Amino acid sequence: MRYIKEVLQSRELLANLTLREIRGQYKRTIFGQLWSLVNPLASMLVYTLVFAFILRVTPPPGDPSGLNIFPVWLLCGLLPWTFFANVVQQGMGSILGNVGLVQKVYFSRIVLPLSKVGSVGYNWLFEMGVLVAVLALVGSFVWPWLPLVLVAMVLLAIFAAGLALILAVANVHFRDTQYFMSIVMQIWLYLTPIIYPIGLVADQSEKYGGLFGTSITILDIYRINPLERFVAVFRQLLYDNRWPDPQDFLLCAIWALAVFLFGLWIFRRSEKGLAEAL
Amino acid sequence: MSEVAVHIEHVSKKFRLYHERNQSLKSVIMRGRRSVHEDFWALKDISFEVPSGSTFGLIGSNGSGKSTLLKCLAKIYYPEKGTINYNGKIAALLEVGSGFHPELSGRENVFLNGSILGMSKKEVTRKFDEIVDFSGVEQFIDQPVKNYSSGMYVRLGFAIAINVDPDVLVVDEVLSVGDAAFQEKCRQKFIDFKTAGKTVILVSHAMESVREMCDQAAWLSHGELVQVGDADATIRAYLNSLPGDHRAA
Repeated sequence: MRYIKEVLQSRELLANLTLREIRGQYKRTIFGQLWSLVNPLASMLVYTLVFAFILRVTPPPGDPSGLNIFPVWLLCGLLPWTFFANVVQQGMGSILGNVGLVQKVYFSRIVLPLSKVGSVGYNWLFEMGVLVAVLALVGSFVWPWLPLVLVAMVLLAIFAAGLALILAVANVHFRDTQYFMSIVMQIWLYLTPIIYPIGLVADQSEKYGGLFGTSITILDIYRINPLERFVAVFRQLLYDNRWPDPQDFLLCAIWALAVFLFGLWIFRRSEKGLAEAL
Repeated sequence: MSEVAVHIEHVSKKFRLYHERNQSLKSVIMRGRRSVHEDFWALKDISFEVPSGSTFGLIGSNGSGKSTLLKCLAKIYYPEKGTINYNGKIAALLEVGSGFHPELSGRENVFLNGSILGMSKKEVTRKFDEIVDFSGVEQFIDQPVKNYSSGMYVRLGFAIAINVDPDVLVVDEVLSVGDAAFQEKCRQKFIDFKTAGKTVILVSHAMESVREMCDQAAWLSHGELVQVGDADATIRAYLNSLPGDHRAA
């Protein structure tokens, strides 16, 4: 409880550090904030070309929205993913990147990784705003679902923050973490139904049936991945325009809270030793 | 002088001297343990009290543990044994301008740095003019700090830190920043501090300034407390322990 109070007391510092990231990020660039859109757009073009045009992946049309546009379908999953990946990557390096501060000033260290969630989240909000505008243009009736989208965004942010806290500490002790994680994130992206529909996995799973004589299928194992649930919820809300599957939504919330609490516990335990370990 | 500002009780701080520091997973897996190290006690059972309203000097040769003790006081390191108790708000000034973002303007950095040092936005706003005035960079306050001269940079950093207005201020040899005029301003600020009944703990190698500013001092040698008490006597004892021409008359 005391810890929570201390973290709450540093919320102003958190806000200021987040602002530092946001303001400093696109300084002295001509396009400024627009750069935040370029990355997802470039990936969208590449994936659309490769997966929709060459490999002919066809996701099912939105139900009941009736949308059938691959790039839009892709972005509904890709934008949450890029947010998640960026928070993990940047949050992981946040302690190591602020050695000067950590070794010279006392403050609640947790604000460093959390400020990354804030600054990356700010960009994400901007990207999602553009996506919603595009969705509205192509005929998706997305407006009533926006409050739930916000809830899902907050849950994903909590999940990402928890993971970032764990990795930030791990990275201080083992510098391998950052290199290891860049590979993990790459594999993770392809193990999540972002650029292909989960139906393809379900088909394969059907073909093989229960593994090793049990009733566990490939799909069951595949769906352990929390990001699969998050992407499903985002697609159900944004692309399909329907109530998210309650089981998916609940699992998102459980994953988010569990990982965040675990991250908080790890971080709190090792916070005091960070200045020395650096 | 009756009240105690900082109470240091049996503080010991251990560092690990790594013979083989393994910060990679490979070596952990290969060796099956984290690293080979030996313990080094940088501080051994230090106990003393800093009276409220005093200016307290920490003296000693290089490697005596002064800076480690200072970092323990600043809550950057945590002692393995013993406790440090404070009466009131503490601020540490170990480095000026840490946390400045080079691309942001001086104004933005004042607010950023102020909050890193624990000031609320309201406080910074209230003291903003004072900070800028003290630093003497009015003309350039809206320029990015990467364009500042190194003198302006440290002056601005120092001006923010000195305006945190803590009950106990911990300072590490940062008094030597800026030109003579600025140093004079700093000295004046420390005197104001003292008249306001605040406590200052400082580390310095410049015995003259310690003698001039401090009324109490503690002498550390190889992590152990040798003498604590009246500044003049402690400094004399310290200087006498040194070989050669440092001896005080």
